[in-house]
Amino acid sequence: MKIQRLGLVASVALVGSIALTACGSDNNAGGANASSGSSSSTTSSSCPKGGTLNGEGSSAQKNAIEEAISSFQSQCAGTTINYNPTGSGAGIKQFIAGQVDFAGSDSALKTVAKDGVVEADAAAKYCGSPAWNLPMVTGPIAISYNVKGVSKLVLTPEVAANIFTGKITKWNDPAIAKINSGVTLPGEPIKPFFRSDESGTTENFTKYLKAAAPTAWTTEPGKKWLGKGEGKEKSAGVAGAVKATEGGITYAEWSYAKDSNLGIAQIDNGAGPVELTGAAVGKAVSAAKATGQGNDLRLKLDYATKEAGAYPILLVTYEIVCSKAKDPAKADLIKAFLTHFASADTQKGLESIGYAPLPDEVRTKVAAAIAALS
Amino acid sequence: MSTLDTASDRTTNASSVPTLGHPARGRELRDQLARVVMWLAFLLAIVPLLWILWTVVSKGAHLLLQPQWWSNSQKGITARHEGGGAVHAIQGTLIQGLTTAAISVPIGVMTAIYLVEYGRGRLAKAVSFMVDILTGVPSIVAGLFIYALWVTTFGFQRVGFAVCLALVLLMVPVVVRSTEEMLKLVPNELREASYALGVPKWKTIVRVVLPTAFSGIITGVLLGLARVMGETAPLLILGPYTKSIATDLFGGLMPTLPTMINQDRTESLQPAVDRVWASALTLILLILILNLAGRLVARLGSLKK
Repeated sequence: MKIQRLGLVASVALVGSIALTACGSDNNAGGANASSGSSSSTTSSSCPKGGTLNGEGSSAQKNAIEEAISSFQSQCAGTTINYNPTGSGAGIKQFIAGQVDFAGSDSALKTVAKDGVVEADAAAKYCGSPAWNLPMVTGPIAISYNVKGVSKLVLTPEVAANIFTGKITKWNDPAIAKINSGVTLPGEPIKPFFRSDESGTTENFTKYLKAAAPTAWTTEPGKKWLGKGEGKEKSAGVAGAVKATEGGITYAEWSYAKDSNLGIAQIDNGAGPVELTGAAVGKAVSAAKATGQGNDLRLKLDYATKEAGAYPILLVTYEIVCSKAKDPAKADLIKAFLTHFASADTQKGLESIGYAPLPDEVRTKVAAAIAALS
Repeated sequence: MSTLDTASDRTTNASSVPTLGHPARGRELRDQLARVVMWLAFLLAIVPLLWILWTVVSKGAHLLLQPQWWSNSQKGITARHEGGGAVHAIQGTLIQGLTTAAISVPIGVMTAIYLVEYGRGRLAKAVSFMVDILTGVPSIVAGLFIYALWVTTFGFQRVGFAVCLALVLLMVPVVVRSTEEMLKLVPNELREASYALGVPKWKTIVRVVLPTAFSGIITGVLLGLARVMGETAPLLILGPYTKSIATDLFGGLMPTLPTMINQDRTESLQPAVDRVWASALTLILLILILNLAGRLVARLGSLKK
């Protein structure tokens, strides 16, 4: 009898939880349509039947890919795309381990051995076909700071490198004061923050410092930070730390710096200070060249550019996919989603959240590569 | 909770002790001092609790009042937009918690029965020792162990069931230990009386020992369940987050409340920040409701005195 009563209670609990399980809804149509803006109800004929796609990687492209996912899902009912922004390093590792369908990365797969692994070969081995790098989002990296009363700050690559290597420790250091005449700089210490996780942003930022200020920045560029400062996790982590710390400075994607309302330094690469604007970024991106073999595309940026009005600290984030889909059932979905992501409409919509659209010449190459996926 | 209970118990006991004659002044002073220290300790324990509850409620409650929080998932909602709900994560947490309990409770209770009723000699000592070791295993180690087994060795995908396996490792020792204590509390006279009537040992355990210890066992199970449902480390390794509803334990990603909190933990955009607080509050409420439900079950199921 006791057991019966217990069974009764247990079954009531079970039925209750099953009922709760049954009544949830994935339909957030209202919110999704509001967010997708321009590109709703366009190409519903190119939608695959449905399915789920899992991606993981770069947190630099999180905001961009979430917008693309949101608008894609509202167009193509029944599809689910997941993206976990765990960092470029983690994304590539999970891709090679066969845990995700595509990886997001802020740098193309390495073709030379690092720690005994050649990323491109390991990915090709998992895929059974070459893995392709498809540049998808370009975004400026903002040197963001939080100094009371300083709304305009100019930095040269040398000064930036010296700040992040700990050679310049005070905001009123003569080197900073020299290039910021007319700005009252406080005498407080500079507190640099860096990405503690393996990050493509770090890699691109250090590539820039190495290219533009080779004498001041002497360590090799890489995903791990080799400068000075205090580590914080992910883009939002460093941006949040600077927001909360008087005298803090960091490097983060434009969208994060904007979202946190941080001061953004102007960069003087030698042809005068350049403010971070969409136009200044476009100028630098259009100078970028697509390299790589066949459909494996890599975007080469000129970090040391002296072109007037071009903002030089950029980051290109890639989607890394198998050229022959490992799971044939997912091939259509991958193609449809990436086509949507690389479409002119979607790319244009990214500008308002702190990214730069791919230059048209690059975008057509990416579209051709996506079409060649199988 | 338990601090509160014992604290109030002791004060009522102390005040209800009849005063015999006139106690020495020193003893009175010590009594007062002890009382003050105890109350201070009580306040010290309660302040962070209230503080946490107040912060979470004040920052997250407004989202919980919207009906869509309980009916919708986060599919298609980005960090810069409001809307969506947590139903996907609530389902994931419930499904994983219940599956974990369904595996752990039989193993744990039977192990405890063995240890208390049957186990003698070397094997029992070994089992008891292993349970002790398992109790000390940090959750991240349990997660990594299952990752090494499930993903690296067998080459499977990261799925909800793998999370359950890691959580089982954490829940079993809690259930074993608490059930063991409860079974030990059952007076031996009850067992002897049952044997005296000619009832076999297994029947004595099923019909006498277990019902007597029932409410205590349920409490132990709930403590274990509360521990695993709020667990984070194995989820981060084995259960990547998804914004969509996913109820399949063996296919695809599975969202849970802890991973939902973690996903937007570092975001600075207000809609995402609000959702983090709201999902934290949801998790607290969920475990509270489970605890209350468990007490109800224990009350209904316990032997009438």
